[in-house]
Amino acid sequence: MLLPRFDYLEPENLEGALDLLATHREDAKLLAGGTDLLVRMKKGLLKPKVLISLKSLNELSYIREEKKFIKIGARTSLADIIASGPVQENARALSRACEKVGAVTIQHYRGTIGGNILQDNRCHHYNQSDFYRSGRQACHKDGGKICYARENADRCNSTCQSDGATALMALGAKLVLVSKGNERTVDLDQFYTADGIMPHGIEPNELLKEIIIPIKGAQSAYHRLAYRSAIDYPIVCAGVLLRPSDGQKDRIEEARIVVGAISRAPLFLAQASSSLKGKSLDDNDAFKKAAAAAMDSAATFAVHNVGSTLEYRCDMIPLMVLRALIETAQAIENSNG
Amino acid sequence: MEKIRITLNVNGRPHEVMIYPNETLLDVLRDQLDMIGSKESCGEGVCGSCTVHMDGKPVRACLTLAMEARGAQIKTVEGLANGDELSDLQQSFIDHGAVQCGFCTPGMLMTADALLKENPNPDENAIRKALSGNICRCTGYAKIVKAVAHAAQPQDHCCDCNPKE
Repeated sequence: MLLPRFDYLEPENLEGALDLLATHREDAKLLAGGTDLLVRMKKGLLKPKVLISLKSLNELSYIREEKKFIKIGARTSLADIIASGPVQENARALSRACEKVGAVTIQHYRGTIGGNILQDNRCHHYNQSDFYRSGRQACHKDGGKICYARENADRCNSTCQSDGATALMALGAKLVLVSKGNERTVDLDQFYTADGIMPHGIEPNELLKEIIIPIKGAQSAYHRLAYRSAIDYPIVCAGVLLRPSDGQKDRIEEARIVVGAISRAPLFLAQASSSLKGKSLDDNDAFKKAAAAAMDSAATFAVHNVGSTLEYRCDMIPLMVLRALIETAQAIENSNG
Repeated sequence: MEKIRITLNVNGRPHEVMIYPNETLLDVLRDQLDMIGSKESCGEGVCGSCTVHMDGKPVRACLTLAMEARGAQIKTVEGLANGDELSDLQQSFIDHGAVQCGFCTPGMLMTADALLKENPNPDENAIRKALSGNICRCTGYAKIVKAVAHAAQPQDHCCDCNPKE
């Protein structure tokens, strides 16, 4: 498959990259690992005039452990994150999520965490070849006015299938976005626009520089379901974080349940999460109730557009949440001794 | 879009080529350098038949721009053998009948080669995990896994490792 024509630019440092982004804005796309971008370009879904390669920007590839945070550069490869001790220890959900992305030996050396978070939403009516799409009217995401995933939908219902974003939202991560002469930090919770066409709240001249994960004495887990584990995107996934209270180590002080691959963005389920506050770590009934509540809240957003049937995917939501909750509770108990 | 002169270091030798920026490493390897060992199958990073090494790590050549491969040490399946002498891994693939139609074989070899460099004595799970990104349409996985396992450690009990003269 041929790539469309584009100009290739390779800035030497972050400043150069931001200058180029400020000049080209919408015409430019950033190229990090290319495992998502180049596939989209091959299918004719994207036709950027300029590709700005981040090849020389080694300054964006790091994992730093500070007192209360882990800071990860956006161009850090998935393989580096999986191998990182601090991430395994303090942000297990992210480590697990990165392991699940693509094929172990291949995607992980090229794929980057920034690219994983910023991958565009998917839909099996949209992520098709030029030829397939030429045989029917364009959908919302393709610039038309039809949605093939949901009848009479007035907007795009594409699905965010990022493993990394679901895990990071459970961990309460923040993103640092930079543009020329400007830098801002956003909560990952607030980063999504609820619009399937432009799912991320990032300006065309902005670049994702860093991901900040708070360390707060909590444990986390990530579970997902996919057809072929090595290749496919998740059809349901869940990230969970539990923090025991300082006084009573077997009570849950804070819970965060996030369900991904269901809606336009990973869904933080506040009601299901808060139902676990004050519960004991071995209270499996409470976990089951929270998982059922997670399904009730998340299933309303589900759209039949990423393979498998809608019923099956919704039925699997509580299972993924429950497995993640039990794994997290066990991890806390193990660390308590 | 203009042609650009770049140098690619493939199998230990520098090659100077004129390319368009939208050409992938696989395009250049196959069309300009005549190294047709690496295959294009899915073209979108799923099947693994285009796997080559960049600085010792297996990557998809179909999703790597040739421009991005400048400065890296690239190794293709042509670089596995030492002249006419096959590598242990290649010989093991032949001995164990791990080649059927052969289209996935270059990718399998490159992925397995990288695995064996990192872990010279992998167990079956490690091999299956490493090869999980390479698809064999003939579904000959059992023999491929066996060939990789026995490549570094020939087994006395295996009749394929000890062919009768």
